[in-house]
Amino acid sequence: MKKKRRMNPVLKKELVVNSRSIKMSLAIMGVNAFLALIALVAILEAGAGSSNYEYSALVSLFPIIGCLECGMLSLIVPVITSGSISGEREKQTLDIMLTTPMSPFSIAAGKLWSAMVIVMMYMLTSIPILSIAFVLGGMSWWALLGLLGMLLYLGIYVGSIGIFCSSVVKRSISATVLTIIIGVAILMLTSILFAVGMGVLSYLTVVVNNQQATGNPQVFHPGLVPAIMMFNPYSPFFDFMLRSMTNYSVCEMVKDAGNISPLLEIFYNLWIPISIGLNLFIALGFLKLAGKNITVSRKIKRK
Amino acid sequence: MLEIKGLTKKYGKFLALDNLNLHVDRGEIFGFVGPNGAGKTTTMRIICGLLRATGGTVLVDGVNAIANPQEIKRKVGYVPDFFGVYDNLKVMEYMEFYGDMYGMDKEDVDEVAEGLLELVNLADKKETFVDTLSRGMKQRLCVARALIHNPDLLILDEPNSGLDPRARFEMKEVLKNLGSMGKTIMISSHILPELAEMCTSIGIMERGRLMLSGRVEDIMHQTRISRPIHMRAYAPDFADAREGRDYIVTLLMEQPEISRVNFTEDEILLSFTGEEEDAARLLKYLISKNVLVSNFYREKENLESLFLEITGRAKA
Ligand SMILES: Nc1ncnc2c1ncn2[C@@H]1O[C@H](COP(=O)(O)OP(=O)(O)OP(=O)(O)O)[C@@H](O)[C@H]1O
Ligand SMILES: [Mg+2]
Repeated sequence: MKKKRRMNPVLKKELVVNSRSIKMSLAIMGVNAFLALIALVAILEAGAGSSNYEYSALVSLFPIIGCLECGMLSLIVPVITSGSISGEREKQTLDIMLTTPMSPFSIAAGKLWSAMVIVMMYMLTSIPILSIAFVLGGMSWWALLGLLGMLLYLGIYVGSIGIFCSSVVKRSISATVLTIIIGVAILMLTSILFAVGMGVLSYLTVVVNNQQATGNPQVFHPGLVPAIMMFNPYSPFFDFMLRSMTNYSVCEMVKDAGNISPLLEIFYNLWIPISIGLNLFIALGFLKLAGKNITVSRKIKRK
Repeated sequence: MLEIKGLTKKYGKFLALDNLNLHVDRGEIFGFVGPNGAGKTTTMRIICGLLRATGGTVLVDGVNAIANPQEIKRKVGYVPDFFGVYDNLKVMEYMEFYGDMYGMDKEDVDEVAEGLLELVNLADKKETFVDTLSRGMKQRLCVARALIHNPDLLILDEPNSGLDPRARFEMKEVLKNLGSMGKTIMISSHILPELAEMCTSIGIMERGRLMLSGRVEDIMHQTRISRPIHMRAYAPDFADAREGRDYIVTLLMEQPEISRVNFTEDEILLSFTGEEEDAARLLKYLISKNVLVSNFYREKENLESLFLEITGRAKA
């Protein structure tokens, strides 16, 4: 017997419920209105000052709107995912869900996918505005596709943390805050580790050079230390923006900082896929943990 | 159908279920009665795999519920004591959602759901949003939902709580219908007469223990002997009311048929197990001891009093 691939039931239900939510439509409209405003300012700016209109200046819309979308996504996703499990608890619908054979992990996954559908809606509805940078500014369409992929990846990453928090904390609001705290903690931790690592390396290089005094001075070898930043979820986005707007890349930055072996050069050139792979793996871990935490409410609620 | 042996559940140090043994046959409607905190909900949640037992076994249709929670979930339908519904979801979509969670195809779900909504009298509400339904309708919808995967055992935790008499009646009709269809049903309540009408067997629980269980007729027979007496009495020999009262209590407690004496505001309630003649003899005895009796009334046969009797005895 052939087993039909079926849509996650939780996702299917969430789609129906969300499509009826006016709040959601208003939020999407609000976000796009904001993006449109930015685009309008950019268009007017490009025309101002000189007599001939500088279409190429519109290309700068791409990183601006890209970063804005990235920032908004980092705030919106915690909000939409933080209620996913705690909301079911608050509504007292989780227990019934758990009496069905559906696994807690699939429930968590369904919640994540439905959040991603919302993320996609935000992104797709903003394409017309982004297109200004492409049609008028002459950006490559691959860049647009890449941006959408980046945002989706970030959404999955932040969303998994959000769902994890939602499964741990009782109230949805606390889950939102906790998600943002964990996100910021990851950013700080990777940056601090990176800075300390680089600091120690360059200090050692200086010490070695001072001791040798003459001869050919020891060059700085960053080695694998910059790879710490691969755990920074925004680093692939950064590399992507560098690559789409300039000839520069994270790999070039590392090379500018010191000497790396050809093997490491290949490694750093693959920053985007490696980092995304690593972080999606971490996201999967968060989602698994969420599945573990989706159990019956500890206290039987009395009304 | 349902076989519970030595079931124990501890919440920290608190012993919520104490070596519980229970047996329900196929096709029975089993009434699970007990005061608040007796452990009914705990037992039910263990059966449907929501809670882990500390010890003991639960067999549903021969399947060990504790070892095979996944398999049990297909055999059991559960209506919790408190539950919520989603906003922005219609009745039929609600049914489809749960059918989907059991891995059923949409066509099958729709067909089954139609029949179930008919059964619970919600056939005309298919396109209504679930959050706008009344409490009683939600409760019945939840019963229909619990039946979507055609479980062998239906577990209802206080399905009547918060319902008005009309809604209670409708719920009872639904459950009676289900019973006549041959479903095995377990219903909890702390109101015994309500259950007695529709149940085929009953278990009375108190503080995590099953005090009594059996077929309704058998238990009814027992109530014929165990029925409390309400009386009003005074001891004129004592000036002090308290002393008089103590005198009466001493007299009463000497009687082998009386297990408990309760003073309410102006009444004395006796837990009395004896034949009619014994009651008459008690009255005569009291009068012979110079106790003035102004009211002496034995309750009718009634499961409720048996319930109070049994659960009260556990407290003493
Ligand atoms: N999650 C929990 N943590 C600690 N104690 C609990 C928990 N759930 C229940 N209890 C305790 O276990 C005992 C049995 O509770 P249970 O809810 O099973 O009783 P019940 O018979 O369903 O009562 P009710 O008629 O109030 O619904 C109670 O004393 C309750 O306080
Ligand atoms: Mg209960």
